[in-house]
Amino acid sequence: MSCGQVSNGLDRRTLLAAGGVLAAAGATGVASARILPSAMVPLIGPGYRPVDADERGMWQQMTRVEEEIAGSNLVVQDPALASYMQGLIAKVGGPAAKDFRIYLVRIPDFNAVMFPTGFAVIFTGLLLRMRNEAQLTGVIAHEAAHFLRKHQIRQYRDTRTKSDVFAVLAMSAGIAGGAAGVNTGDLAQLGQLGTILSLLRYNRVLEAEADAMGVRLLAEAGYDPRAMAETWQQLIAEEKLSAKYRRKRRRRDISLFGTHPTPESRMADLRISAAEVTRPGVFYDARRASYLAAIGKIRPTLLDDQVKLNDPGASQYIVNNLAQDGWNGLLRFHEGEIWRLRNRAGDDVRAAQGYASAVLYPDAPADAWRWHGIMLSKAGRRTEARAALSRYLMMAPNAPDAAFVRQMLVS
Amino acid sequence: MKSVHGLGVALALMTLPACSGVGGGGSGFGISNYTLIRARETSVGNGSLRVTPPREWNRQRGQLFVDIREVEDWTQNGPLLDGISFVTGLKSGDTLVRQTRRDDRQVPKFRSNMTAPEITAMLESLFRVRGGTVDFKTLGLAPRPFLGQAGFQFDYEHLDSDEVWRRGRAVGATVDGRLYLILLDAARAHYFDSTLPDFEAITFSARKVR
Amino acid sequence: MTERDIMRRLGFALLVSVALAGCVQTRQYADTQFSPPSGDYRLLVMRPDVSVGSVTTGGLVEPRADWTESARSKLLTALRAQQAGRGGNVRILDRRDSLPGVSAETIAELERLHSAVGNSIALHKYMGEDLPTKRRKGLDWTLGNQAIALGQRSGMDYALFLHAEDSFASTGRVALQVLGIAGCLVGFCAPNIGGAGQFAYASLVDLRTGKVVWFNVLQTGSQVAGIKFGDIRTDKGAAEMVERLLGRMKPGREIRRAQRART
Repeated sequence: MSCGQVSNGLDRRTLLAAGGVLAAAGATGVASARILPSAMVPLIGPGYRPVDADERGMWQQMTRVEEEIAGSNLVVQDPALASYMQGLIAKVGGPAAKDFRIYLVRIPDFNAVMFPTGFAVIFTGLLLRMRNEAQLTGVIAHEAAHFLRKHQIRQYRDTRTKSDVFAVLAMSAGIAGGAAGVNTGDLAQLGQLGTILSLLRYNRVLEAEADAMGVRLLAEAGYDPRAMAETWQQLIAEEKLSAKYRRKRRRRDISLFGTHPTPESRMADLRISAAEVTRPGVFYDARRASYLAAIGKIRPTLLDDQVKLNDPGASQYIVNNLAQDGWNGLLRFHEGEIWRLRNRAGDDVRAAQGYASAVLYPDAPADAWRWHGIMLSKAGRRTEARAALSRYLMMAPNAPDAAFVRQMLVS
Repeated sequence: MKSVHGLGVALALMTLPACSGVGGGGSGFGISNYTLIRARETSVGNGSLRVTPPREWNRQRGQLFVDIREVEDWTQNGPLLDGISFVTGLKSGDTLVRQTRRDDRQVPKFRSNMTAPEITAMLESLFRVRGGTVDFKTLGLAPRPFLGQAGFQFDYEHLDSDEVWRRGRAVGATVDGRLYLILLDAARAHYFDSTLPDFEAITFSARKVR
Repeated sequence: MTERDIMRRLGFALLVSVALAGCVQTRQYADTQFSPPSGDYRLLVMRPDVSVGSVTTGGLVEPRADWTESARSKLLTALRAQQAGRGGNVRILDRRDSLPGVSAETIAELERLHSAVGNSIALHKYMGEDLPTKRRKGLDWTLGNQAIALGQRSGMDYALFLHAEDSFASTGRVALQVLGIAGCLVGFCAPNIGGAGQFAYASLVDLRTGKVVWFNVLQTGSQVAGIKFGDIRTDKGAAEMVERLLGRMKPGREIRRAQRART
């Protein structure tokens, strides 16, 4: 899934003009040659090291890149979370399970990038959007498949034989990265670099391979194989809601060179593949509880990172999606935040209601009380406002804005 | 204001012509986007505020399509390292940066009935949406008089996607329904401390003229 | 990732390469009081990043491990020789934790700060974005107390930040078209590459004051692939690049003025 937040294909008209396989895929939503999960076998074993000169060169550069990423202050330092994810790799990593590394970086976008030397970078934006362990493990399985099937070096060699604009992008990524003394591993450029790498490395076929193998790895590890299709389904729905809020249509041309299958076609293929690997009578688990326990600590931060971007449609979708497992104070609070930041006519009332409902839950964060108090104060309900603000100060006496809130209470 | 570091710089660079290769490089590119501010009282923003800097500063020229008339940016060592921004009389319903209705992520509009926490939340969103900020921490929010009104002082720090921690302080107040604010944002290592005295002097000297 | 996000993450690096591409120049700036190090000084070379690749048919830069290692070791040898010729002793930092008594995080913080400072120097001294307050001041940037603390803890007098990059056309040569700055609007700023090119910068920080006392950018671009510029995989080429970058370190303006006054 190292394909960027949205991997849309070419738009329909272009596809139909070009004709052929692509057009068929676009029209029916199903790739005419679905890769069979049963055909996907690992091409590498444990402790793999490259032999060919060009692969060795690529490996060496990537080692440098990994050094930079590992040393970046954008990486989330949470040993418990790291060991949880290592545990997931162990289940779906196949022969390379012990060789994998995962770096979780604090960037609020939906993305994951697999590097050819066996390490993956997962953005916190992706982690936020995963509802359960099966979905997260599905992402890991997909990335693992890119590595197990040696996609990077295959695509790299494939691209070399074509004289096309991708080569320029490869060059610009390398040279521009070097131009200001910034290593290609610098996470500041990673979002772009990840996109470039993904554009270069993974064409439609390789993405389909990773989907097919990922589904198989997921099922073999005892997870619900439909989880991977769900992830795409969620992303599409989120984008639709985001675009709807901004009164526009969901963008279909994000992936500049259209090398990826559309999310719709991937979803369709994934559903078929999932059915294929599902063995009757076996109980497949989504493992929601263990997932929630593992990410419980970081989830408030990730919700915060997302909501403060003020993309109301996307944030609303995410909150509602997570709330399928049950509403709580945290989710109601962020609902209020979404409205407060959106601030259209009537949103002040909605936000006030959101905070008022959040504080009814035992897990309401202290911030909910402060905003509840401010909303009450603006509505002229002074006594209630005072009570709410006092409650805030009681819960967080050393809050950074305590001085200001105390003054609000006095005046 | 133009985005704090990345976008503003990026847009500035896009207006530069490619180097013609005629020796000398540097100043052959064209006119700099910076003009000199002398160490004496000067108007900022839309002219409704006057401040007196204790030493010379560099004023960033407005960029077409990006600039907001009520906002002005200064820098001492370049926007990647430090900057002081002035917001003068921003009206209710306006934003600190130019954005289109169709942008996915948007900086919230200012509203005249905003409390200080709402104004600071607006600033935080500005950094996250436009400034490439991935982590933002409020260090303090306290009352502070400004322009003769009951204003606020906001202290914060943030980690940006270039891996640099930056620190900031903003002092502001809503006057007659309009926002007045002076904000310092600089690299946490060395540059914030070295520009803070100037910021405080400028803030104390600030007076509203209309 | 939307194009806007790409632009946001683009940062400075990509755009620097666009603006500088196509120029052939070495230009150095120094603090007005700068005297090139001589005598018995200790120089810390921060993690040098050297990458060399081969430009294949289609223009892809294919990194070659053997070339990279060879270029790196030759560049460092040339560096040691060049600096030894001026006295002093050189210590090269291989990894962030290579310096005893100094934590990896300390080095990391300094690298990050320098990256912002180095980018600012390039922007405001090399790309025409002059800051009026810095006119006639030579080089007026500092890394502050963090650099001074590093000097004290490590016992080093100067820190050199160095980046070098070189690429060579291999057998099938291709001249790629210029995509130009217009490409930036779509989210990718493709550099002006005609074939192979060298790009490097060096920045010298005086660890006793924390100030950047000398800065030099070297950038050459061959418009026709196949012409080799001082191949840095060879002893001669590496020495040439080091010489271009560091060998002609000129004293600062005040020092030159004093020297002229004496003659």
